[in-house]
This record gives sequence, structure tokens and C-alpha cells, in this order.
Amino acid sequence: MAIAKAERLMNLALCLLGTRRPLSKRELRGSIEAYLEAGSDDAFNRMFERDKDDLRELGLIIETVENLDGETGYLARRDSNRLPPITLDAEEAAALGLAAKVWQQARLAGAASGALQKLRAAGMPEAEDAYEVHSALEPRIPVHEAAFEPLMLACRDRRPVTFDYRKGNAATPEQRQVEPWTLECWRGHWYLAGWDRDRGAERVFRLSRITGRVRSRAGAFTTEVPDVVTVRETVESWAGETATRTALIRLRTGAGYPLRSRAVSVRELGNGWDELEIPYGHGLDAWLVEFGPDVVVQEPADLRADVVDRLRAVAKD
Amino acid sequence: MATNAIDQTRRMLSLVTYLRERPGAHVQDVARAFGITEDELISDLDVLPMCGTSFRGGDLLDIDTDGDRIWWHNPDDVAEPLRLAADEATALLVAARAVATLPGLRESDRQALLRATAKLETAAGEVGAASSRLSVTFESEGGVFADVDRAISERRRLWLRYYSPARDELTEREVDPIRLFAVGHTYMEAWCRSSEDRRTFRLDRVAEIRLLDEPAAPPELELRDLSAGLVQPAAEDPEVVVEVGPGGRWVAEYYPHDSAEELPDGGLRIALRTPDPASLRRLALRLGGEGRIVSPPELARSAQQAARAALAAYDEPVRAEA
Repeated sequence: MAIAKAERLMNLALCLLGTRRPLSKRELRGSIEAYLEAGSDDAFNRMFERDKDDLRELGLIIETVENLDGETGYLARRDSNRLPPITLDAEEAAALGLAAKVWQQARLAGAASGALQKLRAAGMPEAEDAYEVHSALEPRIPVHEAAFEPLMLACRDRRPVTFDYRKGNAATPEQRQVEPWTLECWRGHWYLAGWDRDRGAERVFRLSRITGRVRSRAGAFTTEVPDVVTVRETVESWAGETATRTALIRLRTGAGYPLRSRAVSVRELGNGWDELEIPYGHGLDAWLVEFGPDVVVQEPADLRADVVDRLRAVAKD
Repeated sequence: MATNAIDQTRRMLSLVTYLRERPGAHVQDVARAFGITEDELISDLDVLPMCGTSFRGGDLLDIDTDGDRIWWHNPDDVAEPLRLAADEATALLVAARAVATLPGLRESDRQALLRATAKLETAAGEVGAASSRLSVTFESEGGVFADVDRAISERRRLWLRYYSPARDELTEREVDPIRLFAVGHTYMEAWCRSSEDRRTFRLDRVAEIRLLDEPAAPPELELRDLSAGLVQPAAEDPEVVVEVGPGGRWVAEYYPHDSAEELPDGGLRIALRTPDPASLRRLALRLGGEGRIVSPPELARSAQQAARAALAAYDEPVRAEA
């Protein structure tokens, strides 16, 4: 029966951590049963390269050293792989325990519990009751978008990517070449900020609009990554939350609570109507139409015209 | 949690460090400390005796268990706490920073989290830097949140004035809160005394809130599994079919649906279920020329009538197609 991968990785890690001098591939093959069973040299070499990459993903720093005979040796030095001293009290440990549970994405959930386990091994105290809930809150970070994991890795490793992206009002997707900077989750949706190579400008993408696979491109970034990337401001302005003007509307008494709650001023007109001054940002016309006959736009004229256009589209057969 | 080889290797490396300090540790305690089941721990303990620095030289970990306690007969000094990997530091730091921004978090918890985050950043060193490439903001409504949080811990009933967008109206109701959760927005799950049913309330739609003196007495309920999504329409709910053009494709992103069929013009034909189709009149109006309700016909007609009534106020007669 084939030897399980976890056993093979564990053996390689112990060999590399346990040695004081670099071990050659030949020596490692002689020490690890799964490598002896690997059959051909090719099969062993492929397996060995993959395993080294996997251990590096787990945080191990593996050095490559050439000895006097020109043979390559490998080792994971203790002092470069040791967790620096960290002392956490029980409250801090409980707080991290709550935080580690928020990921609903397998890779990050696994990484977060892995981090807690390393801290536990380093002496982090245990909560009296592992399920003690300090707050009644259960925060969860949703990740439904398939593009999330490849983009997270590309942001981490600063690798350029290409993907098909369908803009909100476009019929067909278009290929974009992007140097990905950061991912941000806002109101439960994920956004990517990065440098759009074709447009030669910074762009924000909504992950749910990426269709098909995210592909890595060879080569490095061609532009500098800014220190501060403002995903949220861009998305807020899409959502109409950066108002530059105000609008004057009439609203039926008792209707449109969300409009009232953000109104700059409200005046009673009598006859079952109020007059409101509200912030006017992107998308206000579509929102006002939702209220049907309970809203009448007075000013400005362009907003009034947009609302009338929308209403007429619905009114006709 | 499903175990893959990477996660298991990571866990076993920490496990040997942990066991080295605790000869004769109890299976039950170790499983709890590592957040895994006893079965998962036992399967790790089955693998460890096959691991070591040389299987030929017999230099393997001599770890065994009788199912209750765990013994390591030849502990060596390989087992030191390992540095954090980039993904590990990122996963924990991003989550900790996000949770610390929740206005409803208790101050003592927030302080503990901030202290832990600072220590973690130091311990992670340079691999922690990549964590700035990921960030999460929770939306939460501080004042309302604090009242709900208090009602839950003191098991008290709440009075709400709550906005329902489907009907564009505010309703008053008494509810027994069950839990708070944040998925993008912050929500309260509660037993609604008025409808005698379980309801989910979005905190930014709470117009007014008051703690009552009556104790909360929600019936014993199994908590909903939120991983399947917040809105879980029932099979018996009526179907609504909407056809949208390219500009209305966002509907498929915002509304859970049974099917979304591509149309030749780049639009979609979306079929969804809702207990209350009239609540979608707003959607029909919002879509304007970017989409239309195909069925039920009475919903399409009610949107059309609403639009005509609204136009009357602008003194704009509806002309035939220009």
C-alpha cells in the first residue's frame, strides 16, 4: 500500500529539522521509506520537489547548500525555523480562538487552526471552557467566489494574473491583465484592487463578476504597489454613498423610512406628503423608482428626467 | 473538518512539540487543545510512530497510546515550536483585525484581541507583512448591536420598530433574541412573538429598539446552518421568473435563484422562489428598461400600475412606443 502523503511530509520535515549538516537527496531517499518505494528516479525527483514546496507552504525555511563535491544538500536550520517567544494570557488566547473561527474558506480556516496549534504547542494557555462565548456575536467571513483562492495567492506572491471579467452592464466578459494588490471584503462581497495593464490604471474588480479561471502570468509587477490601496472608497462611490449633491423629493407620509433616515432635512407639506432633501450619489434614480408612486422627484432636473425614463420603461407594455 | 495531508502534517508537527512537554497527556485534553476530534488525534498517533529521521536506523518516534493517555518513550529535541507560515499569519491576523473592528464587541474582548494581534505581528515577523494584502470590514450598527448583545446575555425580550423593504413599512414587534451573527451585514436571529416564528433581522433596518423587562423565552430551536446561505427559500414557495438584459445581470448576484439561463442578447432568464412575490414589485420598478417580470402576471401588472401612478404626478402621459 502506498505510504500516506502526510507521513512522507512529516518524515521529510523531521529529517531536515533534525540534521546539523545538509543532507543530500541520496541520503534523504535512503532515510525515508516512501522515497525508497518511489520506483524510478524521475518519480522520486518529482515527489521530492513537490514535498519541499508543501513544507515551505507550511512555513518551513529549507536551505539549499552545495558541498565540496558539488552535491546539493538540504537542511532546515533550527534557529531560522523557531517561533520567536510569544506569551499570551488566557483572555488573549480566547480572543484569538474566536477570531480563528470566522473563516468559511477551507484554506484559510485550515491555516488559522494551524496557527493556533503552533501557538498552543508554544504554550498558549487554554480557555477554561473552549466554547465560552464572550460576546453573543458569531462573525463569519463568507467566501463564495471561486476566484478568491488563486487571487489571494497571487496577491501574496505578487504574481500578475489574467481573468475574464464581466462588467456590471456588459453582455460578455472581457479578458483583463491585472497586477493584483489587495483583496477586501465589504458588506459580504470580495473586491480586488490592482493595476490593470491594458488600461494602464488602478482598477477595482468585484470577484463575483470574474468568470472562468484565474491564470497566473510569468514575470514580475511592472508598477510599484502603493502603500495605501483604497478599495472601500471606490466601492462606496459605486454604491452611491459618496454624494456630491443633494436632491429634493416629495415623499408620502409614513413611506420610505430609509430615505428619511438619511435625509438632510424633512418638512411636512400636509395632504399626506413630506418634502425631503437627500444626498444625491450614483444610483439614486434606480433606488427612488423602487418607491413607485410614493416618491416624486422635484430637483435636480437631470435626476427627475432619469426617474421619469425608468418609470416609463416599466409603464409601457 | 476534513483532513488533508497539508493540514495533518502541520498539526502533527505541533503535536510532537506539545506532547514533549506533557508526558502521559490525556487523549481527550489534547484533542480539545488542538480543536480536533479524538478520532482525528488517534489517526495522527497512528502515523507518528512511522516518522523519524531514519526508518532504517530505527530512529523513529516511539509514541503510543492506550486510547486514554499518550506516551512518548524517546522524546528528542527536534520538537521545537515552529515559526508561522505566511498563510497562517495572514489567516489569523486578518480575522483578528476584522473582529476587533466590530463596534458591538465588548471592550475587554477588544483590548485582549488588540494585545494578541500586536504580539502575533511581532512573532510572525516578515511573513506577517503579506496579511496587509487581505482585509475584511464588518458592517455593524453600534447602538442596536449593544442592546441586542445585552438582551441575549441577560435573556430579555426586545421591542423593535423594524423596516421591511418588501412592504416599505415599519412594523412594531416583540422578539426573543437567539443570536447575533455577521455575514457582511450584522443580523439577529430571534423568535418573533407577533408571528410566532423564527425571523432574521438585519440590524441596519432596526429603526428603534428597547429592552423589555420580560424574560426572553424562545422555544428550543435547532440553530440554522448559515453556511448554506442566509436566504433559504422553501420548495413550496411560488416561483417568479424575471428576464433581464445585460444591464440587469446583477439580479443573479443579489437574489438566490433556482436557475439563470443565458439569453441571446447577453441577458438572463432567472427563476427564483419567494414566499411573497409582491415583495418583488420593488425589483420590477428598479429594473426599468433593463428587465421585466415574466411571471406571475399579476406581479408584472402591479409594477406597471405603480409606474403609471407615479408618472401621473410628473404630468407625463404614457405615449405609445416612440
